[in-house]
Amino acid sequence: MKQHLGRQSGVQSVEVSLIDGKVDVAPKEDGQIDPAQLLKATYDSGVTTAEMDMTASGKIVKDSSGNLALQVAPNRPFPLVGNDLSKGLESLADTPTTVTVRGQLYKKGADKKKPDTSVPLKLLIVEVQKKE
Amino acid sequence: MNSKRIALLLLLTCPLAPVSQAQIKHIEMRVEGMT
Repeated sequence: MKQHLGRQSGVQSVEVSLIDGKVDVAPKEDGQIDPAQLLKATYDSGVTTAEMDMTASGKIVKDSSGNLALQVAPNRPFPLVGNDLSKGLESLADTPTTVTVRGQLYKKGADKKKPDTSVPLKLLIVEVQKKE
Repeated sequence: MNSKRIALLLLLTCPLAPVSQAQIKHIEMRVEGMT
C-alpha cells in the first residue's frame, strides 16, 4: 500500500504504522495531491479506509448557493460541513484571509466498504489552527 | 537608494512566500485490514 500511495501524484512521502493502522501522507508543494485519489488508491491496494483527516490552509469561499468551501488551490474547493467552527469562518468568506484548519474528509459508513469518489469530499472542520 | 532596499527585501522574502500559500499540508488516514 505504501508504494501504491507513494506513486500518486503530489505525494512526497508515506509513513505507515502497522500497529495502530495509521497512514501519514506528506504532500509535495506542487499542490497536485488529491485526497479522493488517495482514497481510491488505498481501496485498490486492498485496504479499507476508516477515516481520513486533512490539515490544509486556504481561503474561505462562498458559492452561488451560499455554501462555504475551503479553497486550497485555484480549482480545488472542499465544501465545508456546517458546524460551529465553519460558522465562525463565515465572516472570512471571499476575503484575502488564509486559514489553516484540520478536519475530517472521510469516515467509513457502517455498511460501506468502497468510498464513493464520485461526489466531492466534504470537510468537517475540527480545529482552526491559524488565521492570517 | 530606497528602491534598492525594497528590491533586496523582496529578494529575501521570496523564499518565504510558498509557506503561506494555500495548500494541503498533511493527510492522515486510519485504515483497516492492513497486514
